Parts: sequence; C-alpha cells; structure tokens
Amino acid sequence: MTDQTQTGGAVGSYTENTSLGFRVRSVFLKHEWLRGYTLLSPTLLVMICLMCVPIFMLVAYSFWTQNYLDIDKTFTFANYEAFFQKPIYVALMMKSIRMSLFCTAVTLVLAYPMAYFIAFKVKSNKLVWLILITVPFWTSYLLRVFAWKVILGYNGVINSGLISLGLLSEPLQFLLYNPTAVVLTLAHAWAAFAILPIYVSLEKIDRSLLEAATDLGDTPTERFWRVTWPLSMPGMVAAGLLVFIPTVGDYVTPRLVGGTTGIMIGNIVQSQFGKANNWPMGAALSVISMILITILVVTFITSTTRARAKSA
Amino acid sequence: MKRMGINEFQDKLFTGKLSRRAALGIMGTMGVAAMTVTPRGVRAAQQPLVFEWSGYELPELYPPYFAAHGEPEFAFFASEQEMATKIRNGFPADITHPCAESWGRMDDGGLLKPIDTARLSNWGDVFAGLRDIDSIRNANGDIMMLPVDWGNSSIVYRTDLYEGEESWCMLFDERYEGRLASFDSESSVMIAGLCHGYGKEAFNMTDEMLAEIRPLVEKQAGLVRFYWNDQTEIETALASGEIVAAYAWNSAVKSLKEQGIPVAYAVPKEGILNWLCGLSIVQGGSGDDDLIYEFLDAWLDPMAGKFLIEDYGYGHSNSVSFQVSDPELVAALGFPSDPIEMLDNGIAFQPYDPQVLQNMVNMFDEVKIGL
Amino acid sequence: MTDTTEDTPKKKKAMSMTAEAAAADERGSQDAGFVQSKHAGHHWSGEAPMFIYAVWYLAFLYIPVMFLPLFSFNDSIYVAFPLKGFTLQWYGDMVDNPALLRALENSVKVGFGVAMASTFLGMFAAKAMTRYYMPGKGPITSFIMLPLVIPGIVLGIALLVISNTMGMSLSLWTIAAAHTLIGVPFAMLVMVSRLEGFDRNLEEASLDLGEGVVQTFLRITLPLAWPGILASVLLTFTISFDEFILAFFLAGNEVTLPIYIWSQLRFPNRLPMVLSLGACVLVFSFFIVTFSEVMRRRGVGPQGGAAI
Repeated sequence: MTDQTQTGGAVGSYTENTSLGFRVRSVFLKHEWLRGYTLLSPTLLVMICLMCVPIFMLVAYSFWTQNYLDIDKTFTFANYEAFFQKPIYVALMMKSIRMSLFCTAVTLVLAYPMAYFIAFKVKSNKLVWLILITVPFWTSYLLRVFAWKVILGYNGVINSGLISLGLLSEPLQFLLYNPTAVVLTLAHAWAAFAILPIYVSLEKIDRSLLEAATDLGDTPTERFWRVTWPLSMPGMVAAGLLVFIPTVGDYVTPRLVGGTTGIMIGNIVQSQFGKANNWPMGAALSVISMILITILVVTFITSTTRARAKSA
Repeated sequence: MKRMGINEFQDKLFTGKLSRRAALGIMGTMGVAAMTVTPRGVRAAQQPLVFEWSGYELPELYPPYFAAHGEPEFAFFASEQEMATKIRNGFPADITHPCAESWGRMDDGGLLKPIDTARLSNWGDVFAGLRDIDSIRNANGDIMMLPVDWGNSSIVYRTDLYEGEESWCMLFDERYEGRLASFDSESSVMIAGLCHGYGKEAFNMTDEMLAEIRPLVEKQAGLVRFYWNDQTEIETALASGEIVAAYAWNSAVKSLKEQGIPVAYAVPKEGILNWLCGLSIVQGGSGDDDLIYEFLDAWLDPMAGKFLIEDYGYGHSNSVSFQVSDPELVAALGFPSDPIEMLDNGIAFQPYDPQVLQNMVNMFDEVKIGL
Repeated sequence: MTDTTEDTPKKKKAMSMTAEAAAADERGSQDAGFVQSKHAGHHWSGEAPMFIYAVWYLAFLYIPVMFLPLFSFNDSIYVAFPLKGFTLQWYGDMVDNPALLRALENSVKVGFGVAMASTFLGMFAAKAMTRYYMPGKGPITSFIMLPLVIPGIVLGIALLVISNTMGMSLSLWTIAAAHTLIGVPFAMLVMVSRLEGFDRNLEEASLDLGEGVVQTFLRITLPLAWPGILASVLLTFTISFDEFILAFFLAGNEVTLPIYIWSQLRFPNRLPMVLSLGACVLVFSFFIVTFSEVMRRRGVGPQGGAAI
C-alpha cells in the first residue's frame, strides 16, 4: 500500500526510469492541457459563437456617440470622461457595489446553516429539501415582489399586525422603498443560488476526515473551523459569485421596491439604453461596471485561494 | 351570451393550434436545425404577426376578423421602447401598437408603412376630429398610425384622503409627504413643467426651462413614496390607501371605482393630458396585405370599441362605439361627446425632440441618484 | 517499491479494488454522515437549533409566495389587505385563457431544455477546469462568466442580430439558446464547487485499468458529480423560467410566461389570473415532490435514500 502513495498513483507506475519518465511526463503534461481544452471546447465554442457579437457591440459602442437614430462612429473617450466628470455617477456605482456586497454577505450568512443542515443533518430525502428550497422561485418574480409589498407595505401584514397589537399607532414607512428593502428582496430572491452550491461542496466532504478530527480530540466547533469550513470554501466562492455578479447590475428590484433612494447603477444603464436612447453612454457605464466587477471577483478568488492554501 | 360564442371559437382555435404544434413537433424530430430555420412563409395561412401589449390579443377587440380568419399570430411587448428596438433590429412584425408621441421615431427609422384608409370600411365612422388630426401624419401627409384607443392622463386621488384644488401641483403638495406617487419616467419632469405653468411647452423645454423646474423635480422626488412602473402597482397602492394621489391613466379610475374605492380623476386647472394610440403597419413583415388591412378595419369595428370602452375604460376612435356602449358607464367614465373636444381643451401628448428627451431623462436620473 | 513492477496483474487488481472502493466511498459519503449523525443522535441539544433554523429559513422563503394562493381566491383585482371575499373567478379566467397556458407550457419546455443543455456544457467546462492543469484558466473562467455582467438588453439585441444574420427565425429555440448562455456560468460554478478537490487518481486508475473513457465517466465521474448535476439542473431551470429581457428579444410568435406577465401589467384586472397560475404551479410542484417521495419510499427502500 505504501508504494502507491509514494509513486503518486497511476502516473507513477511508468516512472521507474527517470530520463524516460521525464520525457513521458513532459509529453503527458502537454497532453494534459490538450485534454483539458478538448474537454472544454464544446462549451467554449458555444460561448465564443454567441458572445463575440455582444462583447464587440458593447465595447465598440462605448467609444462611439449617439446622434438621434444614427451612431457617430468616430473613436472617442467622451462617454468615459462624462462618467468620471459626474461625481454622483461614480458615487452611485460605488453604492451599487456596496449594496450588492452587503446583499451577498447577508444571503451567504443566512444560507450557510441551511446548506449545512441539509448536507449533514438531513438523513434520507435530501433531494426533497433541495426542491423545497427551489420551488418558491418557480413563481414569477413580479408576483413575489407584490407579495413582499403586501408584507412590508403601508397596510401590510407587519404594520397591520403591530397596530392591532397596539405597538404602533401609525404604520411604519421605512419597511419598504429604500435600499434595505432592495437588499431583503434580493436576499430572498437569490437564496437558492447560495444554498445549492454551498450544499454541493459540503456534501462532498469526506466524513472520515470529520471522524479523524474528533478522534484527535477536536471539539465540534474546532472541527468545524479546521475541517468543514475550509473544505466548503469552493461552494462559498461559487455562491458568492452567483449572487454578487447578477445583483450588481439588477434594475428590476430597485425599481419595484427601492423607491426613490434605492436606485442602483443598473437603472441608469437601463435608462441610457432605453428612454434616453444613448447607447454609447449605456455601453460605457456597462464596461466600467464590468471592469470593476472583474477586479473585485479576481481579488476575491485569489484571496480565498490564498486563505485556503494557508489553512491547508 | 356573446362571450360564450367566442369561447367556443377559442376552443376550436386552440385545437387548431395544437394540431399545428403537433406538425411542428414532427418537424422537430428532423432535428434542431430543421425547426429553427423554418421560414415564416411556410405557414399555410399568411396570418399577420401582430406585436402587441398582452391583453390586446383578445378576439373581442377584432370580432369581424376573428369570425372570418381566426386569430392572427401574436408577439408581446411590455414597453414601447423595447418594441421599437426589437423591430429596428429585424423582428418581422406586420402590425404594432404605438402611440401618437412614439411612432414618429419609428417612422424616422424607416420602420413603418403609410396606411391607405380607402381600404378601411369603418374609416368613415371614425370621429372627424381624429381623422384630421396632425399627430397621426408624417411630414408628407401620410397617415402612419391608425387612431384606435384614446383617453386622458391625469391625477387619481382618494376623495376620502386628499383635499385640495385639482391641479398638476397636487403631486408637489408637502402636506402629503410620503403619500404621493408619480410615473417612473421623464413624464414626471414634464408634469413639473405643467405645474410650473409651461402648458404645451412642457413637451419642448429648453435647457433654461429645464433648469428652472429642476428644484420642483427635486422637491417631488423628496415627497413621493415611490415612482411607479406600471398601472397594476399604482392602483394597488391607491386601493390600500398607501398613496392618496398619483399620476395614472384613466383606466385606473374605472377599476378602482369598481372595487369600491372612493377615487376621483382630477381635471387640473392647467389642462388635462390626452393620449392617443393606434395601429401601425410595419415594413418588412411577411403577412398577407389584405389580411393586415382586414385586421386594422376589425379594430375599428363598433363592437370592438364597445369592448374597449366597457372592459378597459379606454375611449375608441369609432363614434358608433359610444352609441352601442352602456350609456351609464360612458357617462361615469367622463368621456366627452367627441374626443376632439377633449383634445382641444386639454394638452395632447407630443413627441419630444430627441435631445430634449435625453436631457429630461438624465435630469430625472440625476435627481433620483442625488437623494 | 520493487515488487510493484513485478506483479502487474496483482497490482491491477488491487488498484481496481481501491479505485472502486474509493469511488463507492465518495458516493456513499452521506451514508457515513448518516451513521455519524445517528451516533450523535442523542446530542439533541446540538441538533435542535439547526432544525429550528432550517424551519425558520424555509418560512422566510415561503411566506411571500404563500400569499399567492391566498390572494388568488380574493374577490378583488388588487393584491392588498383587507381581503374582500372568496371567489373562483380568477381560476376560471386562467383556464379560459389559452394564451396564458400556452406561455406556461413554453416556459416549461424552454426551462427543461436550458437546464439540460447548460448543465451538460457546464459540467464539461467544470470537469476540464478542475481536472486538468491548463494555462489561461482565469481568463477562461471570466469569459464564461461574462453573460452575467453584460446588460440583458445588449445581450438580447446582439443575439437577435446574430439570429437575423444567420437567417434563423425567432422561436422557442432562440430563447433557449440565449438562456443557455446565461445558464452555463451558473452550471459551471456549481459543478466546479462539487468537483474541486476530488481525487483525480480514481479516474486515472480506472483508465489505466483499461476501462474506456465512457465507462470511466459513467462509473466514476458521473456518480461523484451527481449532486452537482441536480443542483445545476434546478438552478438553471429556475433562471430560465423567470427570465424576461432575453426572452423578449428572442421570442417569435410563441412567448414564455414572463413575457406574457410583464406585457399585461398595463391591465391590472388581468393580474389575478396570473396569481392563480402561480398558485397552481406551487401546488403542482408540491404534489410532484410529495408523490415522487412517496413512490421512492415505497419502491426503492432505504438504499434509495442515498440518491443525493
């Protein structure tokens, strides 16, 4: 049995001769990325075919200018300059990212124990739990927003309840139409997208590792932080990205429950592409937010990878 | 009842559709490619493709056409802006449903065909004022939009919760802070112009005029509970009492009254807004030309008008429609005897100059961001 | 060390056993958890808070949607308290509206197709990402995530332009293609979080032992990836089922449910029948889940519990 661990499994069985082994290994390494790309190629091909036009459109438009129905295709930085010359636009971009980060954090914190519960405490019918978590989102988002308004609204469930209990004399106004309402609604809407990836990564944790930790004298808390938490990081990363990226650009939720103060950058992008009919400006705003998102995502991934490498 | 008859028709139609879908399914077995590249022309009947708001696809709105040819093909849109964008990018619709202030931009882009009213049997019954109105004609004098549905836009208010003079300035009333709502669109900037006393000029504000009303827009943004996006949202808020006064379309009054909510439709002293929408023929569609005209004509039918008035609370362009509709309801909806009377007394929606529109949209966005 | 090269058949057998055993171990890891939690069963002090939390969380997810059935029986077109009276009118309207039901059917069809296609593509991508050393992994990941950051309206119009250029008429297929584009990033990330850190030696061993690529995939990879596949199918279906803007630009004369719902907001009196439809979808999903659970319990016995 020891021989296996030393030679590193199957590859190792060919490596009794170093010079030959070196050559085989180098060829294999070459093969490895070839094999990787072969496996990746169907997906990549589909994505490239469908994505090159949208990306080209977006980037090109951001350097053009709109002239009523026509596009002036002279290369210019005017749209980008216009953005950075207006501090309120920059501030809105930052505010949207803050709201989105906050929303992601709330969603993940709420989702983790639920995913943990399904992965470790539910014994037999895990699929049922997963579907139970997804079913609420098979109703139209619009209807769910109407339902939130019924709960949080002026004559809503919470206000009526508190008034009838004599705890309030006037309905609370701050429950709806502000950034908090946006975050709450989004945390609800994206719950399944956080729970499922976390569950999937918790589920694969080898139970013998946990037993080993217990045998070594770890308390359940220590065991969680030393074994479970680091091993569930891939799921947390996936969940974080899946919630953060789509919510930064969201414009529907802020419009429906954000009132006048809950506005986000997505709303401005939307109105530039829509009513204002200024596609180049909309494109420039999108490119800027894409760059910011990419920077944040890359930082996030590298920092979690480093943290995991450290803990391992 | 009449409705039953139509349901039978619908059933027949539905089964007809199903068999067509079955046919498509068989084609589908020949592969994805075979199904996706099926050109529209292959369909046996050259039914026109009608690009509409959903809710306007009901056969009651084009009864003669439905009786003769069944349902045309429908595609749906949720905003005129998106509708125009989709058509501009090659969507092969035959007929669409713009409004007086929005078809101009589509025509400028070469998307619309002129309408030959000689081919419409009901054209003679259309209110003379609407036949002659400028807002359906382009610079060449061609009719580009067949006038069909019309009505008012004003402020709906709860008579039990709001007190005050009927004016566009109701939406800027500090006494009702947090209980007002307006439209999440540049229309709210235009309304500030109306309150400021610009009248018709509110549709063509210069930079100076815009700068002058900006404080008013900012004031309103601080007063409103929210800016609404659709009729459903604002009617719900008015019904619950969360909102006491809001800009809304006239159909809101009908629905709210039907639900027993005490509301009134303000006739602002600065003038009530009027809107006029209709059907336009789109360039590049592949529907049969005669069927397209038959469909347009069917929308002008008095029975279609009766349904539009009684069920949706909108006005109809055919004068006979009002004679066949429930007189009590017509009176309750506050329709004048001739739309032109309304159009003369009020302020008609007009197309904005593209640059003015952009300025208004940007100002509105900036005010909201600044809060 | 030296004897490994001597007796290859023996080693092959041993390796084969370890590979299978390890795969079975990974597959059955929840059984281990099952045993373990049984061990911990008497520590109810530790389990109860988790269970209570789970119930609260489910309530948080369900309370908003539970208002849909309630208001679908309310005799008012508005979704607002106080309730007015009981009515079945909205259900009648719903049944009486073939266009709405067809839109639902279209949405389900597109959703299933998208769930299959994007999970399939996402799985291959995730497999390649986690299994092989490849240069340019970072840029490729970012590229696959791009559909999520490009505004829907741009993506929709660009895809409309592509389909026009290629002479494809708009149909449910074009909607499905667009939804697959945004489904793949979801599928890939979920699958990556499942496949990352798996012992690649299992597959190598299986391949070395002369198992074909397909057999290896079916016997080793697929069982290991299974929970990820299910999660990905659920999520991508959900994404497609409720997507409006891409569907709008890529729809021909067959529309999906979100298009139908959003385009009729102009008419508030038509909202309640959408509420009834939402309530029906909820109840129907519950029925399917309960039914399949009952069938599973009856038919397969306790072992089937390890399905996920």
